[in-house]
Amino acid sequence: MTTTPTPARPAEPRARSQSQWSVVRRQFVRNPLARFGMVILGLLYLTALLAGFLGPYGITEYSTSDRISWAPPTHIHIRDAQGQLRSPFIYGVKRVVNNETFRDEYVENKDVVCPINFLTSRETASYRFLGFIPSTFKLFGVGEGCKIYLWGSDNLGRDQFSRIMYGSQISLTIGILATVISVVLGLVFGGIAGYFGGLPDSLIMRFVEVLSAIPGLFLLITLRALFPINANPLLVFYIVVILLGVIGWGGLARVVRGQLLSARELDYVQAAQALGASDTRVVARHMLPNTATFIIISLSIAIPGYILEESGLSFIGIGIVEPYASWGSLLKLAQDGGFESLTGRPWVLIPGIFIFLAVLGWQFVGDGLRDAFDPRRRS
Amino acid sequence: MVPFILRRLVQLIPTFLLATLVAFVIIQLAPGDFLSQLKENPRATAVQIQQLTTLYGLDRPGWQQYFQWLFNLLRGDLGLSFQYNQPVLQLIKGPALNSLILVGISVVISFAVAIPVGVYGALRPYSFGDRFSSFLAYFGLGIPSFFFALLAIYALLVTQQTTGWDMPIGGKTSGSLPADISAGRHAWDIFVHALVPSIILVLRSISSDSRVIRGQMLETMGQDYIRTARAKGLGDRQVTYKHALKIALLPIIASIGGFLPALIGGAGFVEVVFSWPGLTPMLLSAFFNNDLYVLMSTLAVSTLLYIIGNLLSDLLLAAVDPRIRYT
Repeated sequence: MTTTPTPARPAEPRARSQSQWSVVRRQFVRNPLARFGMVILGLLYLTALLAGFLGPYGITEYSTSDRISWAPPTHIHIRDAQGQLRSPFIYGVKRVVNNETFRDEYVENKDVVCPINFLTSRETASYRFLGFIPSTFKLFGVGEGCKIYLWGSDNLGRDQFSRIMYGSQISLTIGILATVISVVLGLVFGGIAGYFGGLPDSLIMRFVEVLSAIPGLFLLITLRALFPINANPLLVFYIVVILLGVIGWGGLARVVRGQLLSARELDYVQAAQALGASDTRVVARHMLPNTATFIIISLSIAIPGYILEESGLSFIGIGIVEPYASWGSLLKLAQDGGFESLTGRPWVLIPGIFIFLAVLGWQFVGDGLRDAFDPRRRS
Repeated sequence: MVPFILRRLVQLIPTFLLATLVAFVIIQLAPGDFLSQLKENPRATAVQIQQLTTLYGLDRPGWQQYFQWLFNLLRGDLGLSFQYNQPVLQLIKGPALNSLILVGISVVISFAVAIPVGVYGALRPYSFGDRFSSFLAYFGLGIPSFFFALLAIYALLVTQQTTGWDMPIGGKTSGSLPADISAGRHAWDIFVHALVPSIILVLRSISSDSRVIRGQMLETMGQDYIRTARAKGLGDRQVTYKHALKIALLPIIASIGGFLPALIGGAGFVEVVFSWPGLTPMLLSAFFNNDLYVLMSTLAVSTLLYIIGNLLSDLLLAAVDPRIRYT
């Protein structure tokens, strides 16, 4: 098939030609939902990057001597007992037993006053700023004698705010890593199936069909059974990433195959073959770039799916394990306490809001990209 | 019609065989075999273990074991659960039925809500109602089912404490009911328990289906044959529902097959949160107790369900779409 070249129009002096990418970028930026999604994601990924700086405590930090389990969110005061305005401060807590419910409750101990220090340094909680600069600087913190729990504490008395900050690192990376794995697998297998056809094609496509025939959650649980339940926590992280990626490439492979099957007959592919290019070169350099648009869109649509799956797995206890935390495993605490505990400590539900925001952000961005690449939807 | 079904069935055999093979290989790769737990049980005698080993053919090469397992599977013998010491078939019957109750209610709710919402969105695009429903759809797709379930439980608990409203939370039946209640009352009890989890379960499919139906309807309403129908003087109602909706629903009908297994699999998290005695909680307990036959058989059975579901949607599609012939 040949196309007639469009006659070159005399260029207007001021008009600048637009590449495909600049058109897409403009369309994307003009979409309010996509912009909103970008802002949410920007903030969340910034949180993940600065987790050590934002969270006043370390991820596993808790006191062995005076454990404050299930402390409610600390109240921050700006007026002292006399009603005078002053810089933010908190009171210490003391434990009292509620005589009606016989549960421990924490009330403010007005004798202990701890001012909140901003940009403070805590020697005991060193971390790596941006992942490589050793640092002890924290955005805020309180002195000895007090604990600041912005969003309450968990059963071991660990600060939920800090744990959510650290959890964002795992929740947000897993989505991306798993997507990368599934895209690579999808491209390789879809490429092989679409380019060679015949036996490799039917074998791969049969396998994809089988993968999609087994319910995903059950397959994940069964595959997870291949590895010891109490494996090294870091190993478990990689297992989860790989499992998510390995069972998710089918859809992409199917579409890549379809696109390559039609591209195989096109002139430029035959020209490349006639010039003696190897199979790998023809697929990787000439045919796959043609599917770039599609891949970018499916990436941004796949990531929220993986974030949801990971949080689900961690929620039912077969994903991320202690001492690491992801939003899903933090939310597991809400489930473990039983129904009645929820009304007593609703702040354990906060991690769920983060999952929701991350998924929503990616959805907005994914939809925005899809619309921006689609010429029919351009405004 | 019958040859069509038969031919589809024959085409499905390789997929099923391959799926069971994958399940079998995965389980074979897992450390230990079906008896390694039993062997550590001090009450199990060497004779017993020897018997079971020959019974399940564990002393034979892998491919023979596979065919033996498959043969047993086709006869309905799914092996033995070591955790409960009873046949797997007995064990998964109840949970599978419970999962299907949730799925059944969900499917009904999903269609009852998604179709009107989608059609409304297509008939009045970009109206307030349409924008509002697409906003809700984003919400429904973004919120994890287990988080929403926890939120719902929290809201229900708070309402219960303040108003004393007797809405059951969690479980499948209330223990306080007397044992000799009528079947109808019993079914109502189960239904009331299943209602909240089903609604949460269905949120996702309503969100995505209503969007799909809206898009399809918008596209169909612009087709020539719709204009022809209007030109003939047909009423709005007839054009919308008889001509346009029938075609717009095709992709939804094609996806019904995916509904069966997806909802059973996807019911998972909600079942766990609401302690609904379905397949996923059972599977999780099997996972934590290394109960391999249970895992493998559930995988095989749910794959079978998926394949049956696909066949069903093929048949439905052929029944609805006159362009598809049985031949």
